[in-house]
Amino acid sequence: MSSAHSMIMCPVCGGQVIIENTDKVNLCSYCASPILGPDQSRNCTNHPDILATEVCHVCGDLICGECTEKRVGDYGGKLLTIVNCSKESCIAASEWARPLNEEYQSLANMDWADKSDNFILRITGIGAVVMMVFELVFILGMLYLQYFTSHSALLPKILFSGDIVIILMVLGNILAAILLQTSLQVYVHERQLVSGAILLVMLIVEVAYLLWRGLYFNLLFLEDPLFLTVLLLALLFGTLLVFVGSLGAIYVGNKKRVQMKNARKQLNLSIQHEIERL
Amino acid sequence: MSEENKVYTIFDRPAGLRFVGLLQMAFGLFGLIASIGIVGAILIGGPSILDGMGYIYSVLIFVGVALPCLIIGNYVDDLRKNAVTAQVIYSLMAMGLTGFFIAVRGLHYIWTVPLFETEIVVAIGNLAALILVSQAFIILYLILNWHRVVPPDDVEVVRDRKEAKQIEMGLVPSPLSPTLMGSDGTTELSDEDSQRIMDVHKVVSVGGMAVLCSNCNGATPLSKAKDNKLQCDYCGVTLGVGNVFVPCKNHSEYLAATTCAVCGDHFCRKCLTAQTPPIDDRWTASTIFMCQTCFEGRYRPAVTTTSFVIPIDQLFSTAGARFATVGKIYRRFLGAYGGVLKAIFGWPLALLGSFGKKDDDGKRRGGGGGWGGGNLDLSGLGSSGGDADACVGIILMIVIIIIAIPIIAGILMAVGALVFIPLLFYAGLIAVTFEAVKVIRRTDFQSLDSVRIQSVVEKKQPKAKQSTLRPYTRTWEEDFFAQSLERRREERKREEERRRRRGERTRAESFWGGGRGY
Repeated sequence: MSSAHSMIMCPVCGGQVIIENTDKVNLCSYCASPILGPDQSRNCTNHPDILATEVCHVCGDLICGECTEKRVGDYGGKLLTIVNCSKESCIAASEWARPLNEEYQSLANMDWADKSDNFILRITGIGAVVMMVFELVFILGMLYLQYFTSHSALLPKILFSGDIVIILMVLGNILAAILLQTSLQVYVHERQLVSGAILLVMLIVEVAYLLWRGLYFNLLFLEDPLFLTVLLLALLFGTLLVFVGSLGAIYVGNKKRVQMKNARKQLNLSIQHEIERL
Repeated sequence: MSEENKVYTIFDRPAGLRFVGLLQMAFGLFGLIASIGIVGAILIGGPSILDGMGYIYSVLIFVGVALPCLIIGNYVDDLRKNAVTAQVIYSLMAMGLTGFFIAVRGLHYIWTVPLFETEIVVAIGNLAALILVSQAFIILYLILNWHRVVPPDDVEVVRDRKEAKQIEMGLVPSPLSPTLMGSDGTTELSDEDSQRIMDVHKVVSVGGMAVLCSNCNGATPLSKAKDNKLQCDYCGVTLGVGNVFVPCKNHSEYLAATTCAVCGDHFCRKCLTAQTPPIDDRWTASTIFMCQTCFEGRYRPAVTTTSFVIPIDQLFSTAGARFATVGKIYRRFLGAYGGVLKAIFGWPLALLGSFGKKDDDGKRRGGGGGWGGGNLDLSGLGSSGGDADACVGIILMIVIIIIAIPIIAGILMAVGALVFIPLLFYAGLIAVTFEAVKVIRRTDFQSLDSVRIQSVVEKKQPKAKQSTLRPYTRTWEEDFFAQSLERRREERKREEERRRRRGERTRAESFWGGGRGY
């Protein structure tokens, strides 16, 4: 099916690979992924009997795990991992990037929390989405009550009919948006504890504000209690989810904080040292 | 990619610049109406103040206000350096003149315009002050925002709205066209051939660890590799073999395509997504590949690469911009709004045109005028001489045009704002909710293989669908877009040329055919 003149395609992105070296890696002309030369051995350059797993980003040699040194380089604000081999020249050329502290990384590894974090994100997220939808339905319902029913006589106003209702409801909508934004942050390791706590506080404020609005708008005196019942059920459901999620975030977030603290203590690291180093 | 290499589009213009353009156009329009009005008033024997100088006033207003304001206003909001410079100079001149006018006549200087048995007072001194202040604001705005309203000299600004929209859409980085490639890796396959491959290709291989083809996504066993090259079992392209010989971290049945740029672990095409490369000279690739964990910001050393956190003030603007319905509503709203304004300006002018004198046979000579309704013929108005009703009517219309229209337009704008801003606000809220649902469901991660299949099936480059709740930059894409747009432009040109030649050939054939027929 192919011919001798077929373009060699990058297996990662599909870009063209121009073979310049037959016994060394060549780079994809688009994504720069290293591709083996036609005559190149797949084994480590320093250990010919071991299959290579990495490629040195400086010299392009294939290297095994033993010869690999991982570094974290700051590329325009993005921290990316690069690999260099153990040659002095390659180490010197990679000095600008900081060696990955693998011991610290393994101590600070938080893969154990993936499942619980997924659960927490879903719980808080769904709860916050419910709260947001609830607020949107609430404002529509209030506008209906204000302008199309006799309940408007029981609703407060300052200058014109519905002014207070609209202002308070819009504030409620903004509060729900902030709640939603905060609920998504519980997925970020560093922010989990703090955002969980903030979420809890926000939830208390939101619920209190909602209940106060209900009372202020005299919703207890609605002719048909169905609207109020549906609202209260939705509020209860959303609140429960966010409440459980925020407690979970605080719990797991605190465990992570302790883990980090212990890791630093074990390796005798301190934030102050890091700042001084930087 | 550096800021200098960025491709700017018409949508990059700040809202303030758009306002400046519209304001200047409005001044130009009023200037045009005023100059026409003065000519009309002279022709019907209008106010004595115009005696002898009327035509000069009209020409001065046309040349000094209408023409420059309309031209500059039209170009200034197109991100053009010359137009912005011209606007600053013009505003300075306008400020100087109005300042001088106020100094000479004072703020309380008024004009009294006769109207039927009564008269209208125009606070011309205040009007001059308004112009002075507005032009001062324009200058201040343009100078303070110079870097935003004037792109660097060497950048291309795409002003065509259609092209600009394509650039703004944002696509997933890929060097492949949205069709399957033939076995040579360069020829695009026909739909039938593509379909045939897609029907038979399998993504699971029974022959041990497999490599996923970057063209058709089919799985070919690595054991078939020869000279570190592998021919895809399905589409026949020749794939290079990557440097890593370890299985994907998540799928042991696939050879890892490459490493995640952030965590350095090995992944196959199912587990990687393409992202914008960092803006750094040391990074030479056109893209970076990232696993889902790092995409979601869960890998600690590189946690700053992605994050859910965006400033609250950007929450509505970023998410709202992706809510397509908003754009449609906005366009509809603007269309209706423009229609109303057109009618507002059109009716009085049409009425103004209808004030033409009747000939002896009763036929109107000045009828049929108006905004787009035909040319306004005022040539006969003066010749019949001194009809007071017509004169008052003209003045009335001028008053309506100059005073009533801005008021009506202002009311319309206020109503628009009252209705439209809440609509936008709630559209933003809904959009944020949708984006949040995507994040919660983790469906905003687009793997390389799913993107490729989507692109082949839909025959178009897939749109970037990363959640707007995750900040990202995709500046390099604009280069890619610029190139693809240029390519499309060239193709269009070639197609037109082909059509033109075909047309010439048809004409030639019909000529000979006609000759034979005779």
